[in-house]
Amino acid sequence: MADVVINSFSKKFGSNIVIDRLNLQINNGEFITLLGPSGCGKTTLLRMIAGLESIDGGELFIGGKYYNNLPAQKRHLAMVFQSYALFPHMSVRNNILFGLKIKNVNKAKMQYKLTWVLNLLYLKGLEDRLPREISGGQRQRVALARALVLDPDVLLLDEPLSNLDAALRETAIEELKRIHHQVGKTIIYVTHNQVEALTMSERIALINKGKVEQYDRPKAMYDDPKTLFVAEFIGSPPMNFLEGEIQIQEGFGGVNTSIGFLKLDKDRAAKLEAMSGRKVIAGIRPQNIYFSEHVIRRRHTDTSLDLIVEFVENMGDRSLVIGRTRNSIVMRFMVTRDENITSDQKMPVFIDGRCIHLFDTMSRLNIFNNDGSI
Amino acid sequence: MQGKNMPMATGKKIIWLTGVFLALLIVLGPVYMLVKYSVSDLSSINTGGEPIPLWPYHPTLRMYEFLFTDSQFYRVFMNSVIVSLFTVLLSLLLGVPAAYILGRYQIPGRKLLLLAIISVRMFPDIASVIPIVEFFIKLGLHQTYTGVVLAHTLLALPYVIFIGIGAFESIPHELEQQAWVMGAGKFQTFFKILFPLAIPGLAAAAIYTFLLSWDEFIFSYFLMFGRQEIFTLTLYLNGIKYAEPQNLLAAISVCLSVPVIVFSMMVQRYMVAGISTGSVK
Amino acid sequence: MNSQRNNHFLSETLVSTGVWIRKTWPLLPATFYLIGFLIIVFLYLATLSLSNPSAGINFPSLKVFSELAHDQAFVDALVNSLLFTIAGTPLELLTGLVFALMLYRNFFMRGIVRSIFLIPLAIPAIVTAMLIYILFDFPGGHVNHILSGSYPPFPQIISEPLNWRGSGLFALSISMLGKVWRDLPITMLILLSGLNTIDPELFDAAKTMGATMRVRIAKIVIPLILPSISAVVLLRSVEMWKEFIFPFVLAGRYRLLGTLIDFYYNNVGNSHKAAAVAMVLVGCILLSSFILFILMDLLQKVTNRR
Repeated sequence: MADVVINSFSKKFGSNIVIDRLNLQINNGEFITLLGPSGCGKTTLLRMIAGLESIDGGELFIGGKYYNNLPAQKRHLAMVFQSYALFPHMSVRNNILFGLKIKNVNKAKMQYKLTWVLNLLYLKGLEDRLPREISGGQRQRVALARALVLDPDVLLLDEPLSNLDAALRETAIEELKRIHHQVGKTIIYVTHNQVEALTMSERIALINKGKVEQYDRPKAMYDDPKTLFVAEFIGSPPMNFLEGEIQIQEGFGGVNTSIGFLKLDKDRAAKLEAMSGRKVIAGIRPQNIYFSEHVIRRRHTDTSLDLIVEFVENMGDRSLVIGRTRNSIVMRFMVTRDENITSDQKMPVFIDGRCIHLFDTMSRLNIFNNDGSI
Repeated sequence: MQGKNMPMATGKKIIWLTGVFLALLIVLGPVYMLVKYSVSDLSSINTGGEPIPLWPYHPTLRMYEFLFTDSQFYRVFMNSVIVSLFTVLLSLLLGVPAAYILGRYQIPGRKLLLLAIISVRMFPDIASVIPIVEFFIKLGLHQTYTGVVLAHTLLALPYVIFIGIGAFESIPHELEQQAWVMGAGKFQTFFKILFPLAIPGLAAAAIYTFLLSWDEFIFSYFLMFGRQEIFTLTLYLNGIKYAEPQNLLAAISVCLSVPVIVFSMMVQRYMVAGISTGSVK
Repeated sequence: MNSQRNNHFLSETLVSTGVWIRKTWPLLPATFYLIGFLIIVFLYLATLSLSNPSAGINFPSLKVFSELAHDQAFVDALVNSLLFTIAGTPLELLTGLVFALMLYRNFFMRGIVRSIFLIPLAIPAIVTAMLIYILFDFPGGHVNHILSGSYPPFPQIISEPLNWRGSGLFALSISMLGKVWRDLPITMLILLSGLNTIDPELFDAAKTMGATMRVRIAKIVIPLILPSISAVVLLRSVEMWKEFIFPFVLAGRYRLLGTLIDFYYNNVGNSHKAAAVAMVLVGCILLSSFILFILMDLLQKVTNRR
């Protein structure tokens, strides 16, 4: 059993608080991602778990064991570094066996382990090469092999894919998923890349300013962002945000914004009635704004809008349209690439009322999703 | 080996701090002793079998007062200043143009020249001193300021060229080309653009040369041996080591060292870079 | 036809040399200065050491060298120089390594501590020699007092004061002490720059794989700074052979090759013997550098074995 429990972690560099009373629980065998912008403290958090940074406050339990005072050498963890940190003067074999040699594992077992990990990571035949003699993708796999061969309780990965080019990254993501499936280790993965996080992990902890903003399954992060920060960070292209005020119009709860009154779905509209007059920020994903011409049946919770097209960004399978309302508010939305759209064209669109996220202007929390906030 | 910012266990921290403390003691202890001796009174040196005190019984600046009024010390000091300044002048005059060419242009034979310069530097002084003294005797330069300045310039020139190359190399080529585009000739470009920008590096080279000449012993000793009136500080100090009381030796040593320490701190950045890349020793 | 082509070639060479000079004339004074002295040095060393007219030895002859070989003073100096180099080079390497490792960590006031560690370099060698001369005085120097237990809690180690400059071993040992102290910053800086080229994540990685401090130094640090170590060993061994000032001030008649040159030239007045010793010194430096280069190269290959 190697569940990880982090209780009220704190870390300071000088007067700078990097980790601020952070809590996190990771189940045995789970693949989680620490996601966040650079400087949010995610790497520091990982290094604290690894024992490479001291824990200034709080507690760390792994498999029920108190880990705070255990030096890095004695923690049953393995880590893959962003730079891979392969020892440049050692062959692939000696890099992989470094940890086992220190633990004085016998020769036969060492050989068995080596063969196993070389097969697992398709590294056969590269044993005698030096790190500088193999490709970037191979280096990344050697770093992973070097960690896996130690049979750690928890595997820590610090942006292991950031040095790979886009095409390699895709295959590496699939590789990592396969390996997690095969070895079943608890994996803590650090990245600033939301695509990696959303595609690979079972749960994501989005970290901002040393705190966990939301810890949830990838789908929940996308569909129900609990804070404005999560809404801003997750999803691409970024959401449209509009400041507004909750109002009741024609018996429906909704938000009055600069582009007009936005209607919400029935269930949530009902809840809004108690909050009339509250200042909110409405977030709408570009994917949830539709080109009217293609939709025959419309719901009564949809809000219609006329936009003048400013320009179109081709994104491959789809296009991102940047348009302006009559009062010059910029709105982004997606259309299929078959759409023949030109600048200055007038486009009638509508916004799906079920997909409007509302955040309190002051607390920046989702007004529906946070316990106790309504 | 720890990473640069790793936390340390308390036990290790204590060992490490003790190590740093001992290291500081090893480095600063002798310096302290030097200063202590220079302000010691005679009773704190000739103790008649009692342990020498760690701080003099009656600290005094008498030795310094004596030195500052001593005409012989004044002359020796001035000798050192004269030799060092002329060495700086000659070294820069010869070295800066060479450094400019080697630092700005990829001329054929550049590598060979650099190698020759390095080999001059690696040649042991104590081995090259005999031929040079013999040669200077023939030219009548033995036991003259000129001879010593010429010899010190030979020692300093490789450093001036190396530090100068670094100074000129670090100036972006765009600046020079911009000047050409705006109609400046080669001379104008050198004096109006490159030279002013290279001044910090060249100043470091000048200071380094000054210190080299100021500290120099072997050539000064072989070239001035037997003619006391042109002795530099290093020779003077060596000459009186058996005769004078230790507090006077220490005071002269301090006077010899202070300019070096001050100037060294000024060019520390260049020295560290030079030593790290192996071009300065 | 052929001569025409030769003429053409000649004129082209002349033209290109002319262009070269026109482009690079600022280089010439320094080049002539250095090369001129270089020629003079070699010319004089050769003629002086291969002849001695006053003793009836005409150029070229190896007689001066064979005389040297029978001279006990020379044999002693050669042996002393060899031992001085063999003992002093590792000592400098070791102290430099310890100081460099100490400075490698980021800590409060590291910049100031580093500046302090550079002080020995900023003190003239003659001053350091003079200071050691004073501290190791006999019978009443500081060091003798310390070792006799006059400053508790430092324990008593000797019962009688030692005459430091009175025996070859002691005199050359304190000379080496001065040399090592003064050169400490150079060795330290070269090794420190080697350390700074290592990615610190390597140490973290080794740590997470269970490597203790000792394993990290032996398996990661030393192999990776081996180029810097080689540089230190080569440069410092040359400096050890060349050493003059410390044995000159401190060791008197216990000579190294350097001080023997001074003795022959200034005391005996035999410039031919002095030049011959200088030639031997240059030979020793070349030979030892060559051997050390081969050794360090071998060491590098062994540690970087796959």
